[in-house]
Amino acid sequence: MARHHSSRCFIFLVVMISMIVQGCNFIRITLNTPLTPEDVTFIIPGQTTLADVVARLGSPDSLTESTTGIVTTYRFLDMKYSRVNFGWLARPWTPVDPDLIFSRTGFGTDALQVLYDSNGIVTQHSFLRHVTDLPFHAYPF
Amino acid sequence: MRFVRSLLLVAAFAILATGCAFSRGTLGDDIKTDAVGSIKKGTTTKTEVITLLGAPDRILQVNGRDLFQYYRYDAKAGSLLLILINFSRLSIKSDDLFVMIDQHGIVEDVISSRRTENLEFRFWPFGD
Repeated sequence: MARHHSSRCFIFLVVMISMIVQGCNFIRITLNTPLTPEDVTFIIPGQTTLADVVARLGSPDSLTESTTGIVTTYRFLDMKYSRVNFGWLARPWTPVDPDLIFSRTGFGTDALQVLYDSNGIVTQHSFLRHVTDLPFHAYPF
Repeated sequence: MRFVRSLLLVAAFAILATGCAFSRGTLGDDIKTDAVGSIKKGTTTKTEVITLLGAPDRILQVNGRDLFQYYRYDAKAGSLLLILINFSRLSIKSDDLFVMIDQHGIVEDVISSRRTENLEFRFWPFGD
């Protein structure tokens, strides 16, 4: 009897978990390859050239000029979106389809700017923002 | 034993997966590697560049020199729709080509790379 009860509890638990997680979505959008500070440690101001940077990171997304020389910009995006619909919990007991959605989006937009002098030697480089590794969690509060 | 396990895995996947989707989008023409390779610094002219690659997507002025920019975007999306959970991933990469032309209309520098070559269809949104 006790065994029968525990198996029923187990099935109920599995069904409940299924209900809770049903309607879960995990979406990720990446634009170009996200760069980290470790990826650009090879850049040494006063030594590294434009050719070196292009050889390691590829061609930039934009190339503009400044008063001292050219500026290359590498843009990238790492967007994470997660969504859980807790309304599924009530669906077996209601004639309507209620929704209680928690979702959260993190736009990890960033760019690496590299400044060069008139001879094409790196003078300085920096990330526009310092995006840390965004988590996947739907809790918006 | 391994065959049975693989069969069970495929069966479980077939039961759980309610659908999957593959999508692809591109913007711009493919930048021909042969054409880029035939551009020689110090000899190729602006006219020859336009003949080889067509009109540039953007023309910029950098330190008194013309800079032709050609670009192409490639996007691949994969979605795995399971009974309990959905996973989607969209990856976008671009190929960019910059041709710097001096005041005499001669190619001074060529900067190019093909980032879209390694672009793959992916479902799994976690990790790298």
